[in-house]
Amino acid sequence: MTAQADRAVRRPGRDALLVLLAVAVIAGTLLAVSMSGRGQSSQVAVQAHEVASSLRCPVCQDLSAADSPAPMAAQMRQQILDDLRRGRSPEQIRSTFVNAYGASVLMTPPRRGIGWAAYALPLLIVVVAGATGAALLRRLRRPSDLSPAGRL
Amino acid sequence: MTSSRRRSVALLGVVVVGVLVVVALLSAALSRPSAEAASPLVGRQAPDFRLEGLNGPPVSLSSLRGQVVVLNFWASWCAECRVEQPALDATWKRFGDSGVVVVGVDFQDQSEDAQQFLAELGISYPVVRDADSRTALAYGLRGVPETFVIDPAGQVVDRVIGPVDADGLATRIRTAQERGAR
Repeated sequence: MTAQADRAVRRPGRDALLVLLAVAVIAGTLLAVSMSGRGQSSQVAVQAHEVASSLRCPVCQDLSAADSPAPMAAQMRQQILDDLRRGRSPEQIRSTFVNAYGASVLMTPPRRGIGWAAYALPLLIVVVAGATGAALLRRLRRPSDLSPAGRL
Repeated sequence: MTSSRRRSVALLGVVVVGVLVVVALLSAALSRPSAEAASPLVGRQAPDFRLEGLNGPPVSLSSLRGQVVVLNFWASWCAECRVEQPALDATWKRFGDSGVVVVGVDFQDQSEDAQQFLAELGISYPVVRDADSRTALAYGLRGVPETFVIDPAGQVVDRVIGPVDADGLATRIRTAQERGAR
């Protein structure tokens, strides 16, 4: 066999190897793209759940939009998901709902303005009640100025 | 009673009064329905929309600028919506020629049921369908029926939770017209 014929015999083998390599590279790239897409979409789903959990279902009693089975809550979840996919931030989405429903749509009051009262008031009541109780106890335990023992 | 004991009793009295004040404030706040009734949209620009018509062409709010818009959210499964429809239709017929548009927004409904509702009650004003409830959410809807009155500049003047009556609606429309004339 001549060298030329030998090369002709070897080339199909080499070509097959190249095709195999190309297929592997394409498959790997597609897999990586699909995995990263799936990762991104699950990240968006997690974010959507977080936003929905922070918003109250407007037609329910103390249920978040994430937990409520009401159709309105389902629409809220869908809108949150759509908005996140459009690139809106969780804060922007929350403020859209606050603009329509007021701050009462938030599961926890905002830590600004009058919202601080919800956090500060219970603490203030406990401190004042504790201090007053302690002062009262101290005074009641103190012997009276005009007690028989005092007069002796 | 010694002065120290008197002070203690006075202090106790202050604490009791304080607790009573807090309880009174809390119960007043809890029994007040206005937190839900008052829409943050009142006095602000009404959210724009463009929705498919159920009994006519699509309607967008921006195309109605310059007119008073009575935006009524309803559903065929809502009994109170049935009650208020004659008032809305009468308003449309009474004010339709004086720059007032009544727009019904069908909310969370089946198309066939909504069509049947329109035919049954002979509704003549334009009715649109909020298929994905985006408009309802933009208006802070908590249920049906709910009605928003929007002035000619596109600002929300009023919101009514529950069925409207013709006289009450006429008063609200006049207020919106006066705002528009200013």
